[in-house]
Amino acid sequence: MEATFDSLFLGFSVALRFDVLWYAFLGCLVGTLVGMLPGIGPLAGISILLPLTFGLDATKAIVMLAGIYYGSQYGGSTTSILLRIPGEAASVMTCIDGNAMAKKGRAGAALCIAAVGSFIAGTFGVIVLTLIAPPVAAFALRFGPPEYTALLTLGLIFLAYMSTTSLVRTLLMAALGLLLGTIGIDVMTGHFRFSFNIAELGDGIGIVPVAVGLFGLGELLATPSHQVKGDVTRPRLRELLPTRKEWHESAMPIARGSVLGFVVGIIPGSAHIISSFLSYAVERRVSKHPEEFGKGAVAGVAGPESANNAASTGAFVPMLALGIPTGPVTAVLMAALLIHGVPPGPTLVNDHPNVFWGFVASMYVGNLMLLALNLPLVGLFVNLLRIPYAYLYPLIIMFCVIGVYEVNHSIVDVWIMLIMGVVGYGLKKFGFDPAPLVLGLVIAPIFEMSLRQSLIMSGGNYMIFLDYQQRPIALGLLATSAILLLLSVISSILRQRDWRAKLAQAEAVERQ
Amino acid sequence: MDRRSFVAGSAAAAAALAIRPSLAQEVYPTRPVTFINPFPPGGAVDVVARPLASVLEPILKQPVVIETKAGAAGQVGAQFAASAKPDGYTLLMHIMSISGFAEVDKLFGRPVKFTRDDFIPISRFIADPMVLVVNDKQPYKTLKEFVDDAKKRPNELIFSSSGLYGALHLPTALLMKAAGIQMKHLPTAGGGPALTAILGNNSQVLVSSIAASSAQMKAGKLRPLACFGAQRAPAVPDVPTMKELGYNIEFYLWLGMFAPKGTPVPIITTLREANKKAVADPKFQQAVKNLGQDVAYLDQPEFRAFWDLSAKRVEDAVRLIGKVQG
Repeated sequence: MEATFDSLFLGFSVALRFDVLWYAFLGCLVGTLVGMLPGIGPLAGISILLPLTFGLDATKAIVMLAGIYYGSQYGGSTTSILLRIPGEAASVMTCIDGNAMAKKGRAGAALCIAAVGSFIAGTFGVIVLTLIAPPVAAFALRFGPPEYTALLTLGLIFLAYMSTTSLVRTLLMAALGLLLGTIGIDVMTGHFRFSFNIAELGDGIGIVPVAVGLFGLGELLATPSHQVKGDVTRPRLRELLPTRKEWHESAMPIARGSVLGFVVGIIPGSAHIISSFLSYAVERRVSKHPEEFGKGAVAGVAGPESANNAASTGAFVPMLALGIPTGPVTAVLMAALLIHGVPPGPTLVNDHPNVFWGFVASMYVGNLMLLALNLPLVGLFVNLLRIPYAYLYPLIIMFCVIGVYEVNHSIVDVWIMLIMGVVGYGLKKFGFDPAPLVLGLVIAPIFEMSLRQSLIMSGGNYMIFLDYQQRPIALGLLATSAILLLLSVISSILRQRDWRAKLAQAEAVERQ
Repeated sequence: MDRRSFVAGSAAAAAALAIRPSLAQEVYPTRPVTFINPFPPGGAVDVVARPLASVLEPILKQPVVIETKAGAAGQVGAQFAASAKPDGYTLLMHIMSISGFAEVDKLFGRPVKFTRDDFIPISRFIADPMVLVVNDKQPYKTLKEFVDDAKKRPNELIFSSSGLYGALHLPTALLMKAAGIQMKHLPTAGGGPALTAILGNNSQVLVSSIAASSAQMKAGKLRPLACFGAQRAPAVPDVPTMKELGYNIEFYLWLGMFAPKGTPVPIITTLREANKKAVADPKFQQAVKNLGQDVAYLDQPEFRAFWDLSAKRVEDAVRLIGKVQG
């Protein structure tokens, strides 16, 4: 423990040097901007700026590039809340209640809570990273295909509780998402599936075009069909800040989101994308007022926003401690280290303590900077909503098209987004929630792959998931899923109608 | 807009203004040159192409832009380059797997999107021999021990790869055929996940490039048993080659530059000259060294011969694996 503090001291002595501070600030600033622009995600931002770091030493380069990554997690909430455009998969859940809050005139509060939640979660993540990185990383390695399958099963069962609509509608949307997720090359056999000889479809349908289409475009298309209030007035400073009640409601979700996000984030693979979905589901499950979710629940912003920040910090654990990437962004960061002659791997901490601890310490500083950067901007961003819709909406559509094209330079992606926009309009009109569709799409390829990998490992024997000696984690996760299912069965047997039934009944009354 | 394209844009505008009077006798290149990177940012191509671009810019006196067209394990980018205008302004950076796509398409009865004939090879920059590694929890100290054990229990050991018919799958298939062993295949979504699988002992064997696994070998997490180069590799001098061990297999993860078919010879010549100067630049050599590799430059004639040989190995390996049922 004492050694850790000594090392951290060394780290701060690096991170607080003026030149390093400057690059951390630059990274955070670019990250915030990149997070706000739909489509240009952290991946594109980092790779575009990578050549700029060639002249720098490894510490400054990694501090700046990592700043872009976690900075973008802060910025991502802005367009989600104000315009209902998710910049990336992780901000999809923020769209729902964040934008609902904005419509109620609480946009400033939502942005503040998102920024503060991100700060707390990010700082929490760095503290845990400092203390327990190496042992935790070794634990994360035990997540092989069977554990992944079990984790995603648990995620899918959570999903059933997530939506604002009835269970059947939720599952219908999830199934549609899972089906869309099977499009592309079958990685196990090399067969093209449902791709109609379009090479771009070989990699499957991207999450960003679907999310931007369903949430952003779908919402825009639906706007002309209802009365729009044109009297958005300039908010007073007091209205920009969350009320005491809103702070109170967001405290626990931030705490839960931080822990959940970090735990999910350290697992190698793409699990960190589902952290915000899981957090939303948890918050809804434990909330005393679940009926408020989807209509501007504070917890629906605080939880997922914290979770995705904690997850982005958690993702550094396997990268720094073991030298394995948890996803595409950490892969680019590792490449950046390599280019600068610092090979990431199990020996990084010992071989290059300056880089390792300087990087860790810079994340403490970076999170503070981001908070200072984002809070004052809240007032400015809220003014965006004062632009008349006749001008604002065409601009948004333009940004959506450019942003989606920019991700892969693919015109097919733009078509997917446009089609999904129309689909999103239809879903909205018929009262379906698009969020489970996006989650289904996110989960489908990982779930299918890990299930089939598991069965390859066991030679087709399903007992690999229940082998408590070899695979205790998988068994534990599956047992949790079973308990959840059992609980819901029991509650329906006991005819204790839960909130969802009450909600459905209330809706039925409303329709009459 | 990033710095590179901003510089590119303004330089192009300036160049256009300057050159207008003498349009008839323009010398390639007069505007920015684009490298297509067919793999995700930060991948094997990106990390070499970026330092290369920065040393080529002063030689070509034009900006060099790297455009990522990732998808379908490098097929999307290659197809894009194959159908680009053959004017020397769109060039492809690709690895050994460029040779396999046509063969895989044929295997599945799909229309072949492009063949090797659609490209002119220009230069080879890197050739990293593959290395066979096992997880340190496995008892094998030599390739022979491993092969003997694998023979005793066919289809029990698992090898991971970056994906079907990919750079890590093909050499493994060649070894299995040569040694007469059978293992289960655990395909993943890339080199990183394949490495993660063996580190977590979810697979026991992996054939990887030396650069990708060198950190883990140094830390003792992975044990190298054999190398796929013609000679021993400087990075792992104690590891015998497959040839020394009696298997006639050679396999490299190489990286080269290609132009679309029909690109005029003078342009190709300009690029060959430029590449020759670029690889001699200490900045480029240092960048490649930092990746744990050495520049293995080949000019067009040698590269063409090397590519023919490499392509034959790749095609053989694809046919050997055949159509996977599942």
